[in-house]
Amino acid sequence: MEWTDLIITAVKTAVIYLGMVQVVPIMLIVERRGAALMQDRPGPNRVGPFGLFQPIADVIKMMMKEVTVPRQVNKALFLLGPFLVLFPASLVIAALPFGDYFTLLGRDYLLQVANIDVGILYVLAIGSLGIYGILFGGWASNNKFSLIGAMRSSSQIISYEIPLGLAACSAVLWYGSFSLREMVYTQEGTFLGILPNWGFFYQPIGFLLFFIAAFAETNRLPFDLPETEAELVAGFHTEYGPMDFGTFFMAEYMNMATMSGLMVAMYFGGWHLPWVSDVTLLQWLGSRNLLAALQVVTVIVKISVFMLMFVWVRWTLPRFRFDQLMRLAWRNLIPIGLINLVITALIMYFRSAQ
Amino acid sequence: MEAFLPVGFLLIFALLLCVGLFTVKRLLGPRNPVSSKLSVYECGVASPEGNARAPFKTSFYLIAVLFLLFDVEAAFFFPWALVYRESLAEGPALLIAMLIYMGLLVLGLVYIFRKDCLKLN
Repeated sequence: MEWTDLIITAVKTAVIYLGMVQVVPIMLIVERRGAALMQDRPGPNRVGPFGLFQPIADVIKMMMKEVTVPRQVNKALFLLGPFLVLFPASLVIAALPFGDYFTLLGRDYLLQVANIDVGILYVLAIGSLGIYGILFGGWASNNKFSLIGAMRSSSQIISYEIPLGLAACSAVLWYGSFSLREMVYTQEGTFLGILPNWGFFYQPIGFLLFFIAAFAETNRLPFDLPETEAELVAGFHTEYGPMDFGTFFMAEYMNMATMSGLMVAMYFGGWHLPWVSDVTLLQWLGSRNLLAALQVVTVIVKISVFMLMFVWVRWTLPRFRFDQLMRLAWRNLIPIGLINLVITALIMYFRSAQ
Repeated sequence: MEAFLPVGFLLIFALLLCVGLFTVKRLLGPRNPVSSKLSVYECGVASPEGNARAPFKTSFYLIAVLFLLFDVEAAFFFPWALVYRESLAEGPALLIAMLIYMGLLVLGLVYIFRKDCLKLN
């Protein structure tokens, strides 16, 4: 590997990472304005045009607030907690494919941080490390609300990891590969002549499972039992100051973006536009880098649709009770996941037997 | 291994972000520790009721144990899923093997439901 290669890879990684961090301020305003829209009120509209600078104001406010470390906490774990959540959330994005490749100085670079051939396993492995931060933070706070929030959060996240893994397993079974990039390559073309050849049409049950489990994994509203503000004040981050809250918040939004990115790559064709193949597009555009830009825009649009869905669902569905949540995971989603796996295997067997 | 080199870069950037957030928080925020500010937060109660480090419900522990069992069992599906498509040419041997394995897994799941291990109320 040459020096230019290393530098370009580092810059590419930095750009993708900063791009993913930008999800946080954008979602901050989208979430608040979206909530306002659904509740028929104006929402934050004072700072800048249409309230667009609200995230900046929010962040400045968070930074300028006092940092308190309460007396009763385990200091080291308490300070470490938020970063143990943010750190895995940052690492997971390495596996997301944003496009095919671009050319620079006569060499090809993948539009992905790293072409990991065990992409799905990497995401499941690193992504689940985030519960350590929540558990450490909640336990170290030495507060009953935090402890209960952390316990709920960890048991919820580990319970929903099984249906998530089973849904991902059916996708792996169908595509015959762990690599998200390979999966996206497979989804080019059309299915039955009219539909785009997307994983969603082959794995609809798998997608639904993954979608539901993604909400639970990111602690989003129908399943936000860890921080039920009506009963647990703020759940596992009750004792935390504003900037630590901001860190948890960042991690949550980055996890949401990662989950959306996974759903796009696995079930909604990744960077492929429906009905148009990459070769045709390349002929129209005439340049590899233009095509790469178009692919990145496609992925971003698809991810945005899912992010909006997260906001939409948040203000549409009421919160579950904790035992209902657990029953949903163990009694419904896990058996459905197993059945989906068997059905997929059987369909593949009969298709090959023909 | 070279494929994982960019992950190393990402690791460094993520560390930088964490350290940056930590320093910003330390530098910019004012400090005015007052005794009541540093006490445990509990809705409207002047002094907290007992310690939070009390014995806890075992049902959460049980869920962790069950998760361990089922996630390890589900992990065995992954290598199977990877080779399944290619193995189809040689007949249904892998399909039958997986069905037997899944039957055992389902037995375990039924046992959990029968014993009502997930009772959380």
